Amino acid sequence: MIWTIGGGKGGSGKSFITVNMGICLSKLGARVVLIDADLGGANLHTFLGISPPALSLSDFIKKRVPHLREVLIPTTIPNLQLLTGAQDLLNAADAKSVQKRKLVRSIQSLGSEMILVDLGAGNSVSVLDFFLMSDGGILVVTPEPTSVENTYRFLKSAFYRRLRQSVSSLSVKALIDGAMDRKNEMGIQNPHDLVKAVRRINEGEADRIMEEVETFHPNLILNQVRSKKDIEIGFSIRSACLKYFGIHLHYLGYVVYDQDVSNSIRRRRPLVLENSRSRAAQCIMEIASKLANSQ
Amino acid sequence: MKSIKDQTYYEILEVIPTATDKEIQRAYEHAKETFHTDSLAVYSLFSEGEVREIQSAIEEAYRVLMDGALRRSYDQSHFQTIGGQPPEKPSDAQGVSREKKPSLSFTGISFNPDEELYRGKTLKQIRERMGVELQIISKETKISIKVLEWIEEEAFEKLPALVYLKGFLKVYAQSLGLNPQKVVEEYLLLIEESKKK
Repeated sequence: MIWTIGGGKGGSGKSFITVNMGICLSKLGARVVLIDADLGGANLHTFLGISPPALSLSDFIKKRVPHLREVLIPTTIPNLQLLTGAQDLLNAADAKSVQKRKLVRSIQSLGSEMILVDLGAGNSVSVLDFFLMSDGGILVVTPEPTSVENTYRFLKSAFYRRLRQSVSSLSVKALIDGAMDRKNEMGIQNPHDLVKAVRRINEGEADRIMEEVETFHPNLILNQVRSKKDIEIGFSIRSACLKYFGIHLHYLGYVVYDQDVSNSIRRRRPLVLENSRSRAAQCIMEIASKLANSQ
Repeated sequence: MKSIKDQTYYEILEVIPTATDKEIQRAYEHAKETFHTDSLAVYSLFSEGEVREIQSAIEEAYRVLMDGALRRSYDQSHFQTIGGQPPEKPSDAQGVSREKKPSLSFTGISFNPDEELYRGKTLKQIRERMGVELQIISKETKISIKVLEWIEEEAFEKLPALVYLKGFLKVYAQSLGLNPQKVVEEYLLLIEESKKK
């Protein structure tokens, strides 16, 4: 399974969660590959306490190595390998659909049960496509307005892009493009208005959009929660997404704010290895168990 | 995907048509908290107008579903319209006994009508809205009916020692699906204030 971790804001803890969740999954017996696709700041190796890797995805794409397996970086953790090459991965996502799928197939052929891709912040078309192409997209958000705002921005972009990819009519694609701007002149304020507008011009495409909405189930992890009220924000975001988009967001879980997290990052030792009994580590283990069971 | 205008009262509160009053109460508390004007979950996603529209839909759904007669009538008209049978709603007593030890889930946000502090009359009001008799609460919580009555009547002079009262308030709040900590804190604050007077 390929899981992508994206959305939200820089600093919301995506890389930290990717690495620690990957370790937990490998402890649970899964063969795991972590892919660093954070264009702005690829540093999963630092979280793992290893040097910047010499080999990357470009060595495979430029055919300097015959198989993707050869650019995998071993780690000190059994069953856990790292693959870097953010630029190449995202350039590939910008490439034609056939090339994108070929790369995804190569990644899948690694034989790993769990592939976690850290997409980093931002919502470029490449990032959105990888998020949508994966088996499960995970949004990491902190209980702060800036983080929630960026997450919704990402989710809206991914949502409309998914709808756009599902329809073939150019006029419907144009409606979807217009809907992304709330100040559009068509009076489309939200996804409900969009479906109504599409139905007026093309019943079949409206039905296709509804099917896409039904099958879009992004996941949410709430990071750095400090209180029970913070935990509840995850459920509220889920309800808000249901009312706004009509989508069933899956609240995977939360990670409590814990000083041990920053201590582990400073020491370049993953929290779940450094202090597996810490509250944050326990939360990550719980989320990883859910991912393992969802296979 | 349905707009708020097209959703049933059950969909608005995210409950199943056979939900008990207690489940509706909890769902209402969650919805009210989620779609509060200052809620983080609606920030930047909904316009102010959309939030207001959702808020009034939530209030209307709650008003109808918590009133036995209105709910029956709504079920009949709604389910006949869509060609189905009205759901069989569990009785209130069933609702209470179904969850003998209601634990405060993540969604168990406190309900506080009119934004007042929790006091005896508020607890009584919530209990009556849910249509639950004191005898059922007493049976479930093992608190004597007399003590429950004193709590609701705010007969502070008759209430047991503070250490016991805290426990009683906590269990009583849980049985109504309310936030026990909040109920205890606010009730004790009320006692403090009455002493000052």
